[in-house]
Amino acid sequence: MIEDEVVLEARGLRREYGSVIAVRGLDLAMAAGEFLTIFGPNGAGKSSLLSMLGGAMRPSAGTVRVRGQPLSFSDHDWQHRIGMMSHRGFLYGRLTAEENLRFYGSLFGLKDLDERVPARLARVGLESRARFEVRQLSHGMRQRLSLARALLHDPDLVLLDEPYTGLDPSAASVLRSVLGELRDGRRTVVMVTHNLREGLAMATRLAVQVAGEFAWEGLNAGVDRDAFERLYHDVVEGRA
Amino acid sequence: MTTYWKQVWVIIWKDLVLEIRSRERIASMAAFAVLAGVLFNFSIDTTTTRTQDVAAGLIWMTLVFGGLIGVGRTFQLEAEDGAFQGVLMSPAPKDAIFLAKTAANFVLLYAMSLLVLGVFAVFFGLEVGSNFPWVALVLGVGALGFVALGTLFAAVSTGTNMGETLLPVLLFPLLVPMVIYGVGTTTRLIAGRPFDEVEANVRMLGAFALAAVAAGAVLFRYVVED
Repeated sequence: MIEDEVVLEARGLRREYGSVIAVRGLDLAMAAGEFLTIFGPNGAGKSSLLSMLGGAMRPSAGTVRVRGQPLSFSDHDWQHRIGMMSHRGFLYGRLTAEENLRFYGSLFGLKDLDERVPARLARVGLESRARFEVRQLSHGMRQRLSLARALLHDPDLVLLDEPYTGLDPSAASVLRSVLGELRDGRRTVVMVTHNLREGLAMATRLAVQVAGEFAWEGLNAGVDRDAFERLYHDVVEGRA
Repeated sequence: MTTYWKQVWVIIWKDLVLEIRSRERIASMAAFAVLAGVLFNFSIDTTTTRTQDVAAGLIWMTLVFGGLIGVGRTFQLEAEDGAFQGVLMSPAPKDAIFLAKTAANFVLLYAMSLLVLGVFAVFFGLEVGSNFPWVALVLGVGALGFVALGTLFAAVSTGTNMGETLLPVLLFPLLVPMVIYGVGTTTRLIAGRPFDEVEANVRMLGAFALAAVAAGAVLFRYVVED
């Protein structure tokens, strides 16, 4: 990977919660077009890592750069480049689906919301629910709306935390289709999931995070699911 | 309108729409204001006490405690589904977020202030008369200072284990100068004194409110950053 291709770069990333170390000195560099899936047991620090990569959480130590620009809390340009779908939806329950997207679109300074919002709702199959308050939507619908919110501003770097949790097969299919579109060579995607099938299908790179660090990482050259599952258990149990 | 002010406006819009739809804070603040007016009405012997002498203090006390109910829940409404995290991850500057939330809280508290004034006017038979605009101004300036500090410290207390219990502990000492000037000024205006007599006090209240807004805008980012 040549230096100017790097979209996301983390160096010595560490996060502590009191005496608990969630992420311990993790390094990561990703280029445009790469899709990294991170697997790992509960409590491995995956969500903390994702939150730090997205600028939602300040690292205890280390730095994150997006296209060479450090994530600074006094500078807001980098936020245009990042879209994050957390296990929390970042949605307001008493605003409608459409109002939520319009609200976030306005915060991002988007000009074409009249066209963009209906198009994004349609892409995730929620056009008929545009006027429904979010609290009236099912979990799967909220997940899809959350994805639409994360991608609304066409970010270069997309961070996905457990996007498949609680989705029915139909909703999972919509999500798979949208995530497939993210593999356009322009974007960089980091996804945390426990879903081996979906995680392997999407990834160009794989990592297994255990106790705050990557215990295994490699390229996804058509890895067999069963073989990877065995590897995963070996890695996790080996570090337990 | 610049992007900055559009961001401020859209957050104000969002806060007010959420409040109108949920009515969580409006209802509790209004209920408290009316209840306080009713209770004070029955607890004060108007044959021995001139109501206009004590009304201003009671009005401000109702405002402070009622305001606390509303401002204290500012960020609890945001905590639902982590929505405020989404706002913090947007390019909206932190001071724009603070100004917007302060403005939305101001709308609520000022509406409550006028309600309190009306309730006390009815129950205490206050005749504010031609000084009504000035009393409304004083309450407005006081409400601005209150919500600026209240919004800042609500963000502080929401991020702690103590939650709402911490808010009055942090907030009340800083409100003392505002309440002293506010009560003194309101008392004179209710007594029918001319505005010229209290203009210096109103300026002090205004300076306090502006200082609170400016300090909040500067400090808010340090409070909400993880």
